[in-house]
Amino acid sequence: MTPDTALSDRQLMVSRLIEGPRDLVFEAFTEVRHLSQWWGPKGFTTTTRTFEFSKGGVWEFTMHGPDGTDYPNWIQWTEIRAPEVIVLRHGEGPDDPEQFSSTFFFEERTDGTQVILRSEFKTKTLRDRAAEEYGAIEGGNQTLESLGTYVTGSLE
Amino acid sequence: MISDMARARTTADAFNAIAEPHRREILTLLRGRERVVSDIANAMGMNQPAVSKHLRVLREVGLVYVHPDGKQRRYGLDAQGLEPVHGWTGGFEEYWSESLERLNTHVKERKREEER
Repeated sequence: MTPDTALSDRQLMVSRLIEGPRDLVFEAFTEVRHLSQWWGPKGFTTTTRTFEFSKGGVWEFTMHGPDGTDYPNWIQWTEIRAPEVIVLRHGEGPDDPEQFSSTFFFEERTDGTQVILRSEFKTKTLRDRAAEEYGAIEGGNQTLESLGTYVTGSLE
Repeated sequence: MISDMARARTTADAFNAIAEPHRREILTLLRGRERVVSDIANAMGMNQPAVSKHLRVLREVGLVYVHPDGKQRRYGLDAQGLEPVHGWTGGFEEYWSESLERLNTHVKERKREEER
């Protein structure tokens, strides 16, 4: 499996060089104590109800937005090839009709590990919507902006 | 972060870099996969030195990374550089740019702990 093919109109991709060895980067995806440190945008926290990192295993958690809004999350791992590939299904729950599939590739580089995420949605419409509003970022953004204003204001 | 800012010229930020249409075209080409310079030049109908110049600007602002692959150098999109741009747009890429930024911080901390 390689991430080096063209994107379809149902996919989104993002990639980032992580400054650490691949084993360490991969490990950050395999345990709640690590995932809770980084999963989600700035200002978000997670509470985990169930977690089993194995093929067919499930991670059920709630994401708490900076404004206090809760977002239900359900993830099931469908393929795990340590330390190279993780494939998962992601939605609000096991019966969410808008579930999508995400593949994380971990590639060794001289200066770290390139993490490549490719998500595939059921339709182009769902993909386009995710590109604009995903994980209720819009609301979170406004909150962060107001928080930023609040902090700046209190410094003056 | 501070050292990055010190290194960059005042005009060299992601927004300035993507103001140039050819550079946007390059980023679009790199969206799905890594490419070598000749591949980009062919796709755009431009000569390689011109493409290399644009790639250099895109690298300077961290929009593009380079990955040596044998004799070739492959170029790809770097989410880190796109972060300020996505800060404006929201959605999937912002969610993941920010998450992966946090992942990077987390991994760097764990690396330091291990080295102690």
